[in-house]
Amino acid sequence: MALMYNSTLILPDCLVLDFGTPLAMSDNVFPMRNWPAIASILLFSSFATCHAARGDVDFAKEILPIFQKHCYACHGPNKQESGYRLDNRDIAQKGGDNGDIAIRPKDAKNSPLFRYVNGDEEGMLMPPKDSGKPSLSNNELQLLRTWIDDGAIWPDEFAGHQRQRSSHWSLQRLVKPTPPADHPNPLDAFIQRELKTKGIHLSAEADRRTLIRRLSFDLIGLPPSPSEVDAFVNDHSDHAYSKLVDRLLASPHYGERWARHWLDIARYTESQGFEYDRLRENAWHYRDYVIKSFNEDKPYNQFMKEQIAGDVMEPMTTDGIVATSLLVCGPWDQAGNSQKNQTQRSITREDELEDLIGVVGQSFLGLTINCARCHSHKFDPIPHEDYYGIKSVFEGVKHGERTIATKAEIDARESLQKSLQNEIDLATRTLNNIESEGAKQAIAKRPVGSVAPGPTPYAKWTFNENEASIFPGELNGGALIKKTDSSRGSLHLPKQGAYFQSKPITKDIREKTLETWVALANLDQSGGAAISIESSNGQVFDAIVFGEQKPKEWISGSENFSRTKAFGASEETASPSTLIHIAIVYSSDNTITFFRNGEPQGNPYQSASPIPTFVAGEARILLGRRHTGGGKPWLVGEIEQASLYDRALTHDEVAQSYRAHGASVSKEEIIANLSPEQSAAYTRALTELQRAKKSLSELAKLPVSYVGVRVQPSTTKRLIRGDVNSPDEEVTPSGLSAIVDLDPNFGLSADAPEKDRRLKFAEWLASDLNPLPARVMVNRIWHLHFGQGLVGTPNDFGVSGERPSHPELLDWLAVKFIENGWSMKALHRLIVHSATYRRSSTFLPSAAAIDADNRLLWRFAPRRLEAEAIRDAILSASGQLNTKMGGPGFRPFTTTEFNATFYTPVDRAEPEFQRRTVYRINVNSGKDPLLDSFDCPDPSVKTPKRGVTTTPLQALELMNNAFIQRQSTHLSERAIQSANGDLENAIDFVYEFALSRKPNHEERQRALAAANERGLPRVCWALFNSTEFVYVR
Amino acid sequence: MFVKQRSIRSLIEQKVPFDRRHFLWNAGGGLGAIALAWMLNRESLFAGDKQSSSAISPHFTPKAKRIVQIFCAGGVSHLDSFDYKPELERLDGKTFESKGENLGFFGQPGRLMKSVYPFRQHGKSGAWVSSLLPHLAECVDDVCFIHSMFAKSNNHTPAAFQMNSGFTLNGFPSMGSWLSYGLGTDNENLPAFVVLPDPRGLPAGGSINWTSGFLPANHQGVAFRTQSSEPVPDLQTPKGISASARRSDMELLATMNREFATNNPGDHAFAARLRSYELAAQMQSSIPEATDLSQETESTQQMYGLHEAANKGFAKNCLNARRLLERGVRFVQILNGGSFGSPRINWDGHENVRENHDAQALTMDKPVAALLKDLKQRGMLEDTLFVWTTEFGRGPATQGIGSPGRDHHPNAFTCFLAGAGIKPGIRYGSSDEIGFFTAENKVTIPDFHATILHLLGLDHEKLTFYHNGINRRLTDVHGQVIQGVLA
Repeated sequence: MALMYNSTLILPDCLVLDFGTPLAMSDNVFPMRNWPAIASILLFSSFATCHAARGDVDFAKEILPIFQKHCYACHGPNKQESGYRLDNRDIAQKGGDNGDIAIRPKDAKNSPLFRYVNGDEEGMLMPPKDSGKPSLSNNELQLLRTWIDDGAIWPDEFAGHQRQRSSHWSLQRLVKPTPPADHPNPLDAFIQRELKTKGIHLSAEADRRTLIRRLSFDLIGLPPSPSEVDAFVNDHSDHAYSKLVDRLLASPHYGERWARHWLDIARYTESQGFEYDRLRENAWHYRDYVIKSFNEDKPYNQFMKEQIAGDVMEPMTTDGIVATSLLVCGPWDQAGNSQKNQTQRSITREDELEDLIGVVGQSFLGLTINCARCHSHKFDPIPHEDYYGIKSVFEGVKHGERTIATKAEIDARESLQKSLQNEIDLATRTLNNIESEGAKQAIAKRPVGSVAPGPTPYAKWTFNENEASIFPGELNGGALIKKTDSSRGSLHLPKQGAYFQSKPITKDIREKTLETWVALANLDQSGGAAISIESSNGQVFDAIVFGEQKPKEWISGSENFSRTKAFGASEETASPSTLIHIAIVYSSDNTITFFRNGEPQGNPYQSASPIPTFVAGEARILLGRRHTGGGKPWLVGEIEQASLYDRALTHDEVAQSYRAHGASVSKEEIIANLSPEQSAAYTRALTELQRAKKSLSELAKLPVSYVGVRVQPSTTKRLIRGDVNSPDEEVTPSGLSAIVDLDPNFGLSADAPEKDRRLKFAEWLASDLNPLPARVMVNRIWHLHFGQGLVGTPNDFGVSGERPSHPELLDWLAVKFIENGWSMKALHRLIVHSATYRRSSTFLPSAAAIDADNRLLWRFAPRRLEAEAIRDAILSASGQLNTKMGGPGFRPFTTTEFNATFYTPVDRAEPEFQRRTVYRINVNSGKDPLLDSFDCPDPSVKTPKRGVTTTPLQALELMNNAFIQRQSTHLSERAIQSANGDLENAIDFVYEFALSRKPNHEERQRALAAANERGLPRVCWALFNSTEFVYVR
Repeated sequence: MFVKQRSIRSLIEQKVPFDRRHFLWNAGGGLGAIALAWMLNRESLFAGDKQSSSAISPHFTPKAKRIVQIFCAGGVSHLDSFDYKPELERLDGKTFESKGENLGFFGQPGRLMKSVYPFRQHGKSGAWVSSLLPHLAECVDDVCFIHSMFAKSNNHTPAAFQMNSGFTLNGFPSMGSWLSYGLGTDNENLPAFVVLPDPRGLPAGGSINWTSGFLPANHQGVAFRTQSSEPVPDLQTPKGISASARRSDMELLATMNREFATNNPGDHAFAARLRSYELAAQMQSSIPEATDLSQETESTQQMYGLHEAANKGFAKNCLNARRLLERGVRFVQILNGGSFGSPRINWDGHENVRENHDAQALTMDKPVAALLKDLKQRGMLEDTLFVWTTEFGRGPATQGIGSPGRDHHPNAFTCFLAGAGIKPGIRYGSSDEIGFFTAENKVTIPDFHATILHLLGLDHEKLTFYHNGINRRLTDVHGQVIQGVLA
């Protein structure tokens, strides 16, 4: 009925007034069959009384005045209760904070705006009775209703400032302020103006020893060597300081230092987190990419774009592909993604995307867009729609590994692979032909009546004397080989826990046939497998499983039953100890077929998920066990033989194999029956095959990395209150509407290609007109140099973040940053050359009385080194630092696989473990006690600013950790060697290596006494524990 | 020991003006303020400060001074333990009528299955407890059952994270960290938040379960390896360094650090470092003392079942918990069960709920009941909150046709509270006739957490910490104190 309303001529809803019946009721009151009659009555009277026929309502003259009169007081230019305003078309239509669309064109009845003013929602009558504003008159209500039902046409000229610039400081256009003129360095000019205004005195410039130590830790994260200190202290040239800065910025250690900061922000983790917390063996490429980017001084706008869309930017590069790891290098809930419950799985996926949008928004824009998942942002001008527009940009990004080779590299490898595979196929066919000829000849010579041989398996396991499989294995848990006669035997699995496991197979297997001759000890057992092929950890498997889902039924078992479905065959009836022949065929089209004693049983089916490839060198065969790690996986009984075919056998072949009962003609027999020509051809083909196989196996594997996979997503819908089961309107990929100098609309359709979405977003993000990225990044770099940012909340430039202490300075730096081509090294130079940076850390009570937090930078506040810098500094001082850069990280833990990965920290002294800490594999659940105690953040947490705590556990670590003891000894040995055995000189060296200074007389005497009494390592220990060592001033 | 108490005192008396939130945030600015506050919590440095949640003083007078939480990993079946469902006996073996979307983790449920154990009423309160837990059944008059618990996720780790941190995601501070942040410690010689992992293995997610997330690292749970001679890593002075040599080393270090602090006045963190070494030295003796069970009488040890093979160290943890609570640890979390295993080492009875729960209960029942009784007999239950939890329950139908197992079930399950401020001997809330949905007085995890914080004197809406744009809470934007369980 409602539909007819909208599509017929019978439109003047207001006419119902003539009947004294509210329209909403009329829909229900009049039965359909009466419609024509009523319609004519309505039509008849309409022209007389209604001035609001279709398209006749004039928005400007008739609707806008209603809004102004009744609504503007609370939902207009000056006030926006619940974030809703009727002076702005977008917001008026899209609704306020509650997330519901307010005006649904052509559907007044379901438009909250109309329902509220019409009193259809209990307790929601608008304007509220106590507001002092009059309710809408019947006529006004009808006008509004008609207007909406006609399509709510709202002309552009009255659209209001639909993208009115927010008054919030960080969203203002970037304009370069003029620095105060009284200081040559603009940066100092801004700082000193504030200090002067407050009447604060400054501390003096720091001495050179302090400066070189400060600069070294700041720029490369390592202490200066004693000779570097001497050189700088004694360099009286004008450019001594600049030369030092240049040297440090050119050092490859610079990238290692600053990459670590960025990895905190990127929530870079090398394990999954959540239940399984699996190690990501191939995540480190991203860490190297970040190090390289800093070292190359990659322009920051480029750095941003690559991390959003580097994999789809032309020309395609490995760096670009790796860069996009940012999107997925956080935690991932594997269990949540693989579970059966659809709602919960969708929630898991939405959580993933929130994490992704969170890292993009916070890292580059300093905005918590992620807060707008359930409703418009509480504080910032980020409507609910914007969240979903951005979600649509990233909807096609999923977790996982893929190759980071470029397309050209992939193509080259593929074509080589294909040609080798062709050679292998050709040689194999030749061999097969000759073999089958040879087999025929052999059989012809056999006595009449013997059985025809079955198909030749890829691998076969028998337990007869003098027969070995190409993939031998181990008997476990009480499994044993039982002789059945003088030369024949079978695998006996007398109890739960007994099984056979083969060595890894040496060929990738996808299409396949599993086959076994098995005798079950009883038919009540459940969940055991006669034969299983599984990945090395048992996470993926296909198996012939008995009685697991239903008693007495054979199924094709698989992880989480992902390829399992009942065959619908009859129950197993074989009496105990009777041998039966079972085969399951897995075709390349994912069809799975079940055979018993040579005949198909039940119904073949299409697997719900594709048949996996079992990888050469990893996959293996289990007999008697379903898979490693599964509950109750045991089969009790006997297995006479089992075979794996690297292809899908036909019905005939299975039947043949059953009839042959495993009998086949041996290779020796075949070869013995070949003619000399056949024999020569056979040898040639065999040589050819071996050569091609060798080349194929030597073909370099394409490098893979945890950069995520991309899929073309279905269209994104806004989710009301973020609820996965309440989708609303479709959205298109877009940017943030609050950035008013850029068009947030990318002109893409809701089903636009995945790559276009990210490319457009990257361009939008990195535009010089976007005021946020430059502000956010210069603040980060400032924060990392001074220990506090100009904005104290580096990931939040929104309303609930802190306001800048020096707004003009921030903008000046941001514009300068862009002018300098987004060069981070230029920004470092600018900062570290300032007098502000070079100030001493001396505490001035008079200044502190006015500015206790040093927000105005009257001194350089002392700063505790981060955990990584402490460890690196210790290694550097002790001379043990291994400066090897890049590649897979070192593992300061052992792992235990127990369905999930468990990490146990280990302390190792090999050089590999003495690399810089940025090369440590940083996992979620395996914590390093030393680093952890010094505030190393959870890798999965986006950390723009590390905490600094002082705790007894920290003291215990420095006191007792074996690493500290070891390095104390190394430092001591190094110093004694440098001092040619002279203890007093050695003490000077120890101080210089650790603290970049010589001890004073008293310190020297004290250390000498201690070294004489307890050895020099104890002095080194005290230095590593000292406040002076762990603080940079 | 190495620094005169006066220097600490003088820090407290030194009145430095600051913005509270800013101060907390800028601890990185060289002040180490949080650490100092943590260590000086008993001095009430910030008492009266109303700007933000106080890391020092409660919001109102607390009923409980400390809390012990038992977390049974894997999902204890409410239907086979505490939530008696006569209707399920009647419907046993009947087809399970769908109640909307299947909530299980592994797919389609089978037929309805009654409790695999007989139930009977216990104590004066007449609470129903199955034969699975005979020892806990003796405690029902001290306990307040909540039969209407509701979890957000049907997946172990997110659900466990929610029970332990309020959120289903990685990286949010655990409840113990929030309490450490909110209340500090009563004994600076021991950590404020101690976790006692099951010796059989860690739960899924391992240390993520007791992370401090974005809260300062000093609020992180300290996992005691109670089966080891060194309960905390790097607690012991390395072998080969004698006590007297260590004393001399510490004196040398203290002299260096004291000189440095004197030469660089104005930075509190330098004094805090000195103090941290004193506390570290004290912990070297206080932790071994606190975990030395040989000081307990034979009868106490027997009460906990310390010598019974089935308890595999879990009993030790329960007894240890009491000792730690006695010594002022704010929050002790005892984990019962790890993850996975074959047979499983937690309550995840997918395959056979009876076989599984029999084995788990043998480990859990007696020691937990003993802890509750022990706290009561020592008068500690007066001001100790006792919390028994699991991440979710198990479904009323079997997992697949003909299976004796039950799948995960987040929509209704049972937990219980006891002790300080809790109404004893009652049952709060209920599930429906087959234990599928909550029926009366649904309790969400945020409600549960709000109530726990309330009992400890904290307003869950005021205990906040700013992180990346949000004043974060343990209870997110939810949670109401469950008035019905309060004494």
